[in-house]
Amino acid sequence: MAETDGPNKQGEIMNLISRRAFSIAAVGAALTIGAAPVTGQPARAQAAPSGSVVTVATIGEPPTLDPVGVTSDLVSIITQHMFETLYTFDGEWKLTPLLAAAAPTVSDDGRTYTIPLRTGVTFHDGSAMTAADVVASLERWTKVSPRGKTTAPIVDSITAADDATVVITLKEPFAPLTALLAMNNGAAAIVPSEVVDGANPLKALVGSGPYRLLEHRPDQYIRLVRFDAYASPEGEPNGYGGRREAKIGEVRFVPVPNATTRVEGMLAGQYQFADSLPTEMLGRLKQGANVEPIMVKPFGFPLMIMNSRTPVTANQTVRQAVLAALSPNEMMLAAFGDPAFFALEGSIYAPGTAFHDAASAAGYNQHDPKKAGDLLKQAGYKGEPIRILTSTQYDFLYKMSLVAQAHLQQAGFNVDLQVLDWATLVQRRGDEKAWDAFFTYHTFVPEPSLITFVNPAYPGWWDTPEKRAALAAFNTEMDPSARRARWADLQTLFYTQVPTIKVGEFYNLAAAGTALKGYTPMPWPFFWNAELAK
Amino acid sequence: MLVYVVRRMGGMLAVMLIVAAVVFVIARVVPGDPAAVMLGAAATPEDIAALRARLGLDEPLAVQFVLYLKQIVTLDLGHSIFLDRPVAQALWERAELTTFLTLMAVGIAVLIGVPVGIVSAVARGRAVDQVAVGLAMLAASIPSFWIGLTLMKYLAVDLPWFPVSGYGPPDATLGERLHHLVLPAVALGIPNSALILRFTRTSMLEVLGDDYVRTARAKGLPQRVVVLKHALRNAMIPILTVIGLTTAVMIAGAIVTETVFSLPGVGNLVVSAVLRRDYPVIQGALLVVSGLYVLINLAVDLLYAAVDPRIRY
Repeated sequence: MAETDGPNKQGEIMNLISRRAFSIAAVGAALTIGAAPVTGQPARAQAAPSGSVVTVATIGEPPTLDPVGVTSDLVSIITQHMFETLYTFDGEWKLTPLLAAAAPTVSDDGRTYTIPLRTGVTFHDGSAMTAADVVASLERWTKVSPRGKTTAPIVDSITAADDATVVITLKEPFAPLTALLAMNNGAAAIVPSEVVDGANPLKALVGSGPYRLLEHRPDQYIRLVRFDAYASPEGEPNGYGGRREAKIGEVRFVPVPNATTRVEGMLAGQYQFADSLPTEMLGRLKQGANVEPIMVKPFGFPLMIMNSRTPVTANQTVRQAVLAALSPNEMMLAAFGDPAFFALEGSIYAPGTAFHDAASAAGYNQHDPKKAGDLLKQAGYKGEPIRILTSTQYDFLYKMSLVAQAHLQQAGFNVDLQVLDWATLVQRRGDEKAWDAFFTYHTFVPEPSLITFVNPAYPGWWDTPEKRAALAAFNTEMDPSARRARWADLQTLFYTQVPTIKVGEFYNLAAAGTALKGYTPMPWPFFWNAELAK
Repeated sequence: MLVYVVRRMGGMLAVMLIVAAVVFVIARVVPGDPAAVMLGAAATPEDIAALRARLGLDEPLAVQFVLYLKQIVTLDLGHSIFLDRPVAQALWERAELTTFLTLMAVGIAVLIGVPVGIVSAVARGRAVDQVAVGLAMLAASIPSFWIGLTLMKYLAVDLPWFPVSGYGPPDATLGERLHHLVLPAVALGIPNSALILRFTRTSMLEVLGDDYVRTARAKGLPQRVVVLKHALRNAMIPILTVIGLTTAVMIAGAIVTETVFSLPGVGNLVVSAVLRRDYPVIQGALLVVSGLYVLINLAVDLLYAAVDPRIRY
């Protein structure tokens, strides 16, 4: 910058920028070519290791690189390389230890979890992981993470029994605990106790993962480089579990918000991996000799959340009428086009996952305007407008909401479809008087209690006595097969009380360069164990 | 001249104050708040309230406005909520790219628009003119994102002459970075060249019909001298105006091109700040960009005097 601009130009700009800022800007300018790290990292760790660079095109700039406070998938995809949790999921979505040495020992009353830790684990700042770090990290998690905060009221204490053992005591049995500890978003990431500052942002982004942060330039790139002192868990690689080896020297995440550009960049070989590609580009991707399209299943499900606190939709019969009126088939077709990219699946969990249950999802895909009309009459509906919020920022949500509007009108609803930008929608849905329904989507989560609408505090506020009882039964049941039956009970309630409508399952189209070997497709793409062919 | 510049600068201060107030109000009248955007889809209202408090967004608007004015007076543009760095730094990081992109795109637009506009005016009504005007209509009607994607497909993917997107790897040399800007500059320059072409043609036609041009021809001056020396200089004022406006618009208005080519420019910064409701960035960036608009206008006005000796300030 400074090297290339004339003094006058610089002078003009400087008049408008404060002097304090100038010194920062001048330093920034001087380092542009040398590329100094923007985010704090230990000085000794700044050199990039030699070896291959894999460039990953992401859908945009992540809001943060601290994985604890947010549940954004984009944040998880990047930060899972830097931070690790006590447990993680294998290829069948079963729990497997990561920083823990083994599965927890749970007391007979289901209230005490004793977690053995792996020894010899080193953080990116060179310090060794101890039980004190784990306790500090988990305590921060209960204050900062949306998942941790829902757990906090049940937690009695988190203590270190010795250097390599952590004990979590609960006030009542809570079966989802280990799954919560294994999630990579709103993650219970383990960091050195020195970087934890209560509920405040981390003092430094120091984790224990196979990659460490080298440099972050917002809207330009995030550079993660191999952490040479990484201590991997044992065992054959399986899903997110097992041995992790950073074979690629640097994983560089580049925000490429335009989806077509992500496709063209893959075809040109500029990126080795790209996520969330437009399904209509599959044909073009297949033409590329060096590109392999990847279908990620399970991936996500669109939802129409209904407000159980506004006069109209608080009426359960009205909500049942909505369920009867909609045609998920037409909505999914409008949203995703090619049936290869979606499935009409009413069970909240798709076939092949542990919590799939078709019988309790019988109310799905009715498209029966007459039945809907009868239900409306029965509910005493007098044509009050149903305010439905949607956003063009997620094109598929917008398209399916247009189809839903038509179906609802056909059944006799008076629909007020409000098209907003996503930020406005997120704000407005927090106001319980401002809307009757909104469209959103959910990505696959291995543990049902993590699904947003199961949380009574989530907009929509599904909190009937029956649901509360069913959720409590599910959460306190420790036996896996009995838990599946309790989940089916909850799903039955989901189709009776209709707090939300699941529209279907959709898949994510990603692409990897053929030079990227050993890549394992999972909902949150990761690049350890993968390598770049010469 | 100096008095004129000082007077214009005074006016500029007033304009900037109005801009500051308008920008503050607009940023907050739009619903949505940065805390909700940052925390993502699963955040509860309590999380959002806590973050709002940390960011100082729970203060009354009047208090926020006074704090904001205080900052501006001390030439402090504030601190980005989302990027966690001073707004001035965020702008500065993007200034290099935006400067080069604007210069290259304006260069392309002028190099195509002015010569073709002159030829078109001189050859009025002939085939050359009709083809040029037709192509200009076409170029002005094609959206720049389409030009961008088409260039990308043919010149970056099918023929690997240019990179698809971005501003080069971290260790890129200046040459490599400029190489990354060629396709975006062409995509941005072509529609703007059409505008400059039309203005050049119209302005030249007006001047070419004047008496002094006839006189110059009658004196036996060669066509080249008549057109380029006598006519063009007098036709230059509207052309300069439109070049100035084009330059100003490109600084923050190249957003479509920047998005298509994933370029971290100023336009991109402003639009992502709006989507993230990053108030300090919206305010700071718009303030700086409006300042540049005013400065470019001033520069164009001063250039009038250079091309037309009759204009004195």
